[in-house]
Amino acid sequence: MFHALQLEPADNVATVVAVVAKNTQLTVQTPGARALTLATVDDIPFGHKVALQPLRKGEIVVKYGRPIGRATADIPQGGLVGIHNLEGMRGRGDLVQERGAAK
Amino acid sequence: MKTTFLGFPRPGEMAGTRNYVLVIPAGRVLSIAATRVTDYVTGTKTAITGGGEVGHHKRDRERIARLLIGFAKNPNTYATIILGARKDFGYREVEPYSLAHEIAKAGKPVEVLTVEESGGLERMVEEGIALARRYVHQASLVRREPVSADKLAIGVKCGWSDATSGIAGNPAFGKAADLLIAAGGTVIFSETTELIGTEQDIAERCVDKADAKRLLAMVSEIEEAAKRTGEDIRAINPVPSNIAAGITTLEEKSLGAVFKAGTSKIVGVLEYATQPTKKGLHFMDGWMSAFSLPMSLAAAGAQISLYQLGGEDLPSNDPPMLATNNAVVSPLMMITGNPRTAGKAERSIDFSSGAVITGEATIDAVGEALYAKILSIASGELTKGETIRYSDPLDPYFLGPVF
Repeated sequence: MFHALQLEPADNVATVVAVVAKNTQLTVQTPGARALTLATVDDIPFGHKVALQPLRKGEIVVKYGRPIGRATADIPQGGLVGIHNLEGMRGRGDLVQERGAAK
Repeated sequence: MKTTFLGFPRPGEMAGTRNYVLVIPAGRVLSIAATRVTDYVTGTKTAITGGGEVGHHKRDRERIARLLIGFAKNPNTYATIILGARKDFGYREVEPYSLAHEIAKAGKPVEVLTVEESGGLERMVEEGIALARRYVHQASLVRREPVSADKLAIGVKCGWSDATSGIAGNPAFGKAADLLIAAGGTVIFSETTELIGTEQDIAERCVDKADAKRLLAMVSEIEEAAKRTGEDIRAINPVPSNIAAGITTLEEKSLGAVFKAGTSKIVGVLEYATQPTKKGLHFMDGWMSAFSLPMSLAAAGAQISLYQLGGEDLPSNDPPMLATNNAVVSPLMMITGNPRTAGKAERSIDFSSGAVITGEATIDAVGEALYAKILSIASGELTKGETIRYSDPLDPYFLGPVF
C-alpha cells in the first residue's frame, strides 16, 4: 500500500494520500518502476505534500512536472510542504506593490 | 463503448436532454412575474439574476442578454416566454422584443407578454400561466428518441478542490471527455484564473494559432487584474478550503484543474457565454464561482453541466449542498474523486471516481463508467439535485465597473 504519490519524475514533492504521523516510513509510488521509501519529519495530513529531497530556501518546487512555486524556507526531506514554506509566483499583487513602493 | 443517448429532437443540430419551458424576465423588475408563473406551472424554469442590468456598462448588459438568449437556445428548452414591462422599455440589450427576435432564430416557439399590453402586472402573470401551461402540454408530445452522442455538449467546472481533484476526479472526467469527443460530441471547460501556471501547455493544444493567442491574452488579462488588487492571489484563490485541503499555490491548483480538459485538441476558444460553432473540445473564458459558471456553460449550449468536487475540507455530517440546479435548463451532475467526500455527501453526489485514490480502479476504468453515467443522465435519469425543488441564486460574471 502506498502512502504517497510522486506524479512526474521531475517532481521534488509527493502527495500524501493517507493521514501520516511524524517519523513514519513512507512508501511513495513513483512514475518509474521502483517505489521510494523515506521517513517523515512532520505530521502530514491527507492530501498535503511531502518533500522527497531536501529543498533550499528559494528553490523551485515541482509537482505534475511543472513549477508550483518556490520554497520560502529550507525544507528537510520528509518535511511537510505547504502554506508555511511554499509561495506561488503568479498573480502576486503584493509583490507588485512592494516593487512599486521601492521605486 | 455506447455512442447514443435518448434525446428530445429539436430544430437545430443538437438534441435536448430535458424538455423545459423557459420563462425569462426581461429586466430585473420582471423577476416577480417570472417566479409567479414558474411556481404555478410544472416543467418550467426561470433565471433570476442578482443585480441585473441596471447601472452596468454595455459589455456587461450584453453578457446578461447572452445568458438569457443562451438559455432559450439551449436544446433543453422547448419554448420560451419573455415577460417585459412594455415594448422599448429599459436598456436595449434586454428589451423584450429584441430578445425574442434573437431567440426566434433557433426555430423554437417564443412569445412576449408585457405588462402594458396585458393591462397590468397580475393580468400578465395570468396570461403567462395560461401560455406556459399550453407550451408545457405541447412539449409533452415531443418524445425522446435514440440520437448520436455527437448531439451532446457538456460543460464542466471543478470546485472545493483538494489533492484528489488533480489525481483522480479531474483526470477521470478528462477520460470521459475524451470518449465523448471521440464519439463526435462537445466538451466545454472554463475558469480562466485556473489556467494561470498551465496556460502554455493548454495554448499548445489549440488547433488554431489565433485561438492559442486569444487564450493566452485571456489569462494574461486576468493575471494583470489579480496584480492590480495588491494582494497575494492566495488570499483570494486558492480559496481557504483548497489551502486547508493541501493545495498551496494557484499554479498547483491550475495544474490539477486542467486535467478535466482530457487530452483532446482544443478546437475553439469562446468568449464568456457564447456558443461553439464546431464540435469537440472548447475553452470558454469564465469565472469559477459555483453560482456563476454552470449557468454560463448552459448558455453556451451545454445540455449537461458537471461539478467536479474535491471536498476534503467539508464537514463530515450532512454537509451543505455545494451547488443546486444552478445551470437553469441544464441538469447539474455532482461528481467527486475523493472517496471521503463521496461518503460524506452521498445524498448530493451522482458519481464517484474515488476508487482511483483507494487503488481499486484505474482512471481509464472510472472515466468509462463516468461517460456511461453522463449518457444515462442525458437520457433522462435525474441527478440528485434534480430531486430537489430549489435553485441557487445566479451571479453573472460581470467585468464592471458599475455606475
